[in-house]
Amino acid sequence: MNDPQNAAPPVLEARGITVRFGGLKALDGVDLRVPPGSVTGLIGPNGAGKSTLFNVLSGLRRPDAGTVLIDGTDVTRASPQRRAARGMARTFQQPELFQGLTVRDHVTLAYRVARTPKRIWTDMVTAGGLRRAPAAETERVDEIIGGLNLTEIQHQAVLGLPLGQARLVEIARSFAREPRVLLLDEASSGLDAAETRQIATVLRRMVARRGVSLVMVEHDVEFVFGLADSVYVLDFGTLIAQGAPDQVRDDPRVRAAYLGQGSSSAPGTAGGPANEQVTS
Amino acid sequence: MLTYVFMGLAFGAIYALAAAGLVVTYQSAGILNFAFGSMAYFVAMFFYWENQTQGWNLALSAVLALAVVAPLLGILLYLLVFRFLRARPTLVKVIASVGVSVALPAVALMLFGNPTISQAPGLAPAPVAHWNVLGGTLTLDQVITYAFLIVVVGGGTAVMRFTDVGLKIRALVNSEALTSLSGVNPGRLSLGVWAVSGLLAGAAGVMAGPTTGVSVSAMLMLMASAFAAVVAARLSNLAGAVAVALLMGVVSDAIQYWLPANSLATADIVQCVPIAVMLVFLLYYLIRGGPLGQESRQGGALDAAIRADSGGGTRAGFPDAVGRLARWYAPERIVSVLPLLFLLCLPELFSGWWLGLVARGVALAVIFLSFSLVTGDGGMIWLCQITFAAGGGLIAAELSFNQGMNPLAAAVIGGAVMIPAGVLIGALTIRLGDLYVALVTLTFGLLVDQVIFTQQQFHPGMGGVAMNRPVFAATDQDFANFALVVFLIVGLFVVNLRRSSSGLAVAAVRWSEPAARTLGLNIVRLKLVLAGIAAFVAGLGGAMLSMYDLGNDPVTYATFNGVIWLAVLVTNGLRSLTAALLAGVLFMVLPAVFSTYTTGQAWLQVPSVLFGLGALGLAVNPGGVVSMQARLLRDLIFGRRLKTGAGQ
Repeated sequence: MNDPQNAAPPVLEARGITVRFGGLKALDGVDLRVPPGSVTGLIGPNGAGKSTLFNVLSGLRRPDAGTVLIDGTDVTRASPQRRAARGMARTFQQPELFQGLTVRDHVTLAYRVARTPKRIWTDMVTAGGLRRAPAAETERVDEIIGGLNLTEIQHQAVLGLPLGQARLVEIARSFAREPRVLLLDEASSGLDAAETRQIATVLRRMVARRGVSLVMVEHDVEFVFGLADSVYVLDFGTLIAQGAPDQVRDDPRVRAAYLGQGSSSAPGTAGGPANEQVTS
Repeated sequence: MLTYVFMGLAFGAIYALAAAGLVVTYQSAGILNFAFGSMAYFVAMFFYWENQTQGWNLALSAVLALAVVAPLLGILLYLLVFRFLRARPTLVKVIASVGVSVALPAVALMLFGNPTISQAPGLAPAPVAHWNVLGGTLTLDQVITYAFLIVVVGGGTAVMRFTDVGLKIRALVNSEALTSLSGVNPGRLSLGVWAVSGLLAGAAGVMAGPTTGVSVSAMLMLMASAFAAVVAARLSNLAGAVAVALLMGVVSDAIQYWLPANSLATADIVQCVPIAVMLVFLLYYLIRGGPLGQESRQGGALDAAIRADSGGGTRAGFPDAVGRLARWYAPERIVSVLPLLFLLCLPELFSGWWLGLVARGVALAVIFLSFSLVTGDGGMIWLCQITFAAGGGLIAAELSFNQGMNPLAAAVIGGAVMIPAGVLIGALTIRLGDLYVALVTLTFGLLVDQVIFTQQQFHPGMGGVAMNRPVFAATDQDFANFALVVFLIVGLFVVNLRRSSSGLAVAAVRWSEPAARTLGLNIVRLKLVLAGIAAFVAGLGGAMLSMYDLGNDPVTYATFNGVIWLAVLVTNGLRSLTAALLAGVLFMVLPAVFSTYTTGQAWLQVPSVLFGLGALGLAVNPGGVVSMQARLLRDLIFGRRLKTGAGQ
């Protein structure tokens, strides 16, 4: 991948994001810049504020200070729905699925919401619910489901799916929205090695073919370093490092944050916490 | 004045006992027990039966009723019903406890007779001793009530704070799973909790007897009043619930000092006090935001992990070819063909009185479709659909009979007028959890019952406001067919909406709000539209019912009857057209079967017991009877092929 960091105006940008929980500063003036068609990694130890930042970016939590911009437009006070309409999608650390729906329903719903968001009135007065879905919809939904190896279980209700498959369903649902920027919260957590490789392939293809920007919170640091164009490191709500993966890997502040002062092991290297559980 | 205060404190103490019983079971089992009033009724009936009918000694009667029967009743209900409910959704908990609430009074009537006792003895021997205190009259019954409350609150607090059992119960409140892993038997603790709940219900029922008499409606109002205190205490704070209950009792009695005696308006105002209290606190909590106490009932992460079963994946595991066939013959589809066709033929199979019952049942089924929409699809537990039905019927009756409008147009307008009310309720409850939605709608229904539907202008004659039938549906046969057509039109509308993108979206919102919002779904608009449509359908159904009855008397649409309607529907299946039609017809026809073909008062209670038992079945089979039968049928058809497929 080329380095798009400074090539184009960012599709998503956070400036000086501050979030307080009572007396605790969960995020303290955090900046983030996501160029179009790039992969941005967000890592940090437990309690660093990664998921809080995701909630701010996606609109589920309003920051105490700072602004969020999508394509240069201030969306800090916009609802999650408005942000979704501007091309943002996200997954969750604990998969948030609609348990009464099947796998295919998830993808179909996301596909339709993205294309005809105000259908409720037409749904009531037409018999659309009683007719067969349009061919274009069926084809695209099949493609997404097939791409993530979910065809076998596409008509199964999602309640009770293993964690790995639940994550794939979340990702499939996000893809169906055709987002411009996708926030992935621990996308590889709970997946086996083969599934992780598959996810990485699908994500790379999505960035290459559709120009989607990815922002990834990950516990698997190796996975992030292998995929990301740039990496941001949070520690106790503060941004302590940012830059290309190699540059961040060698940063002494990052080493200290992960393993304590004086450590010689860096994240993602032998002896480092490449596979440790790092959640926020 | 002091006499009113003494009386008010005594009644407040009874509210407080009931509130304590409700908080105890909600805290320990996560169940807001809608059967509490019926438990109180059962024990009060038993006490009256042994003391008055059998002539047993008062002390013996009291000990048997409160120390033996009441705790045993709580234990029995726990073993038969409530122990299955802990991990169930709120709707199933509400409906199952409503099932107990329907069945228990019927069982009491079968055992003890006497449907309504206007005045019952209390725990003080007659004649009841009384004293003059500072110019007010204090009776021994009141002193016993105060003392009982002090013992309950003081003893309960001491047990919870200072004993090993209290510590275990507090652990159980937080996480049943972790409590089990600590070597404590949650079942044994729960038995104790439900025994105490039974005792409190029994005590409240027996002590209320001298003032309210012993009747199902009186005990339900007692429970509704206790709900107000429990809501004020955010479902968890026992001391707060007791304090609010005492205050409600004092205010209810003290205002009578200033209001005219023997006035209907006075009676209405007094009955409205608890409802007003609940409304004020709910509005306060809504405006203030923050947690409402429902969250703590979900247990910890381990409890959540245990709750996540694979029950929803009923179509999982089918080999692909069989799977396609199985999806085509999904439970809903199987039961939507043959039984629905049979039900549609019912008007041709019956005549005379029975035909009228079927016609009325079909009209009721239209109202049931509003439950399907708002609760089945929208996931909002609304307990006031009967209020919309009454309102729609009332407006349609007024327009058609007094204003000369075509009855069909009047029915549609009656339904349409209910839309703003539905949207308003939807807007008020949009951010509340399931249980609070149930309580707000229950409160709304009770408030309308007490304040609006009791107004004299709605009762000009014996049957309320008269209404015409359409000319083409003047006979019962024609009306039944007309009602079926309306049912099918509304039913197709419901199915179309359910299977559309909006239907998927509504279902999605029910399961995960954060995911729905980040997906771009406008939750508020979806829920408000659904609420408005459901209110319209309920109003239209109410108008249909009024058409059949040739009038609308809103007093006959009591909110608690609406809760029973919901229980009957959920028992059959909340999201199935067939179940709605079956439930409507059964609700009308089954009691008539027993009243026609059996003799003796006891048999007349059997339909209530059956409806109640049906709702109890939800504890084991949350999908409802129709869905369960469909699954059995599907397994019968596909069972052998599935086994073969699995073997391959």
